[in-house]
Amino acid sequence: MTRKTNMDGMESAPRWIFTFLGGYLIVHLFVLYVWNAAGQVFSIQGTSDGTSALSVTAMAGVDLWLCLVVLRSFPAGAPLRTSWMLIALAAGARVAAGVLAQIEQIRLAAPIAGGPVRLAFLAAAMLGVLRILRQFGFWARPSATDWAVSGIVCLFTLCRFAEAGAASLAGRPIGLEDWISLAGLPILCVLFLEAMLLRRAVLRMGNGLVTKGWLALVCGILLTGAGEVALWVIPRDSQTLPLGLFGALIRLPVAAAFALVPAYQVAAQRRAIKPAGDQPEDLATVVPALAR
Amino acid sequence: MHPRRATLLAFCDGEAGADRSRRIAKHLSKCKKCHGQLRRIHGEKEELSAGSAAPPMDGRQDLAGVLSAMAAWREDRAGEAASELRNRLQWQIETYFGFPAVSVVERPGIRAEELLGKASEILDVFLGPNAAQAVTEDVFRGLDWAVPAGESCR
Repeated sequence: MTRKTNMDGMESAPRWIFTFLGGYLIVHLFVLYVWNAAGQVFSIQGTSDGTSALSVTAMAGVDLWLCLVVLRSFPAGAPLRTSWMLIALAAGARVAAGVLAQIEQIRLAAPIAGGPVRLAFLAAAMLGVLRILRQFGFWARPSATDWAVSGIVCLFTLCRFAEAGAASLAGRPIGLEDWISLAGLPILCVLFLEAMLLRRAVLRMGNGLVTKGWLALVCGILLTGAGEVALWVIPRDSQTLPLGLFGALIRLPVAAAFALVPAYQVAAQRRAIKPAGDQPEDLATVVPALAR
Repeated sequence: MHPRRATLLAFCDGEAGADRSRRIAKHLSKCKKCHGQLRRIHGEKEELSAGSAAPPMDGRQDLAGVLSAMAAWREDRAGEAASELRNRLQWQIETYFGFPAVSVVERPGIRAEELLGKASEILDVFLGPNAAQAVTEDVFRGLDWAVPAGESCR
């Protein structure tokens, strides 16, 4: 009665993403371990930045492609089409950021596309998703924990703005990249609150294939926030830790989490339209009886 | 629970299916009342097939009896189909959304056709029309389903 493990086709896209992410994390953690064991005598900053950027852009490319596949399955006027379009635009913004970062003349456009623009697309997409979930009765009030988690991000945003304000008052120049990063933080606060609401709705639904996709979106947003906080805290805590490697360890899981959103959706759609002969025999009739 | 007359008729004709026949036979071995009813049915069948001179009956009453037996048989089949349909829909909702989602979509006492409507709507919105249609077709595969008027899920 168990479903055959199949790594072929788009139905197994989530599995491929997890496999790639697992391999990537193992390699990076191994490098970090060797670097630490060797007494931190060699630099691992430069190489990790390059491979990380390439991996993240490639993962964003996969995300965009899967989003376009999903988008094709929602005709004009479908309730979730706008949300999927915005999610696809967010993925496109991440790809654009990865490409723009490699072009010296317009490098500054990269953090704009990959930061505030992408986050704004995601925030708008999530509003649509939450509205539809509410229509179907999957709405739940946020708990104290949800408020607390959102509060932490809001506090972090305030700290970043206070820091920028203090630097400005002291006459220290603030770089354009810092301003761009600051511009994205209020959107991140909104996104976090939306992510908490989506998490509650997902908990009300269960762990089906469609639900897993929305859970991946929540994870992606939580990891984005956690990464922002970690990359702000780590340099204050330790000057010796390789920030580039930590950044790589954070950025790819974030990109993978966002890629899992359309990947699970595609997996669910492929499972639905699979010919009857490919479905497990009599599963629809036997399993409910057994499960209940 | 005693089997209905329509069920006994189906059993008599060998159309009740293997599992059901086994259950009915088991019940008949214990229940004198049903056993008696089965004997009566047998008797009536033999009389009809032999074309023997049955006691004169009112034609209208006879027809009403046959019609009510047919209606009871149809009702029995429709109830089973509704229950099966509900199980299949629950399984599809569980697969794509999760077990708690079933309790959100399926209100207590909801009719099978209402559940079908709600499940189709939610699948259409979240999976897209093509995938939702494929799921609905999968639900109906091999199911003898016709929306019975006033039939509700058990």
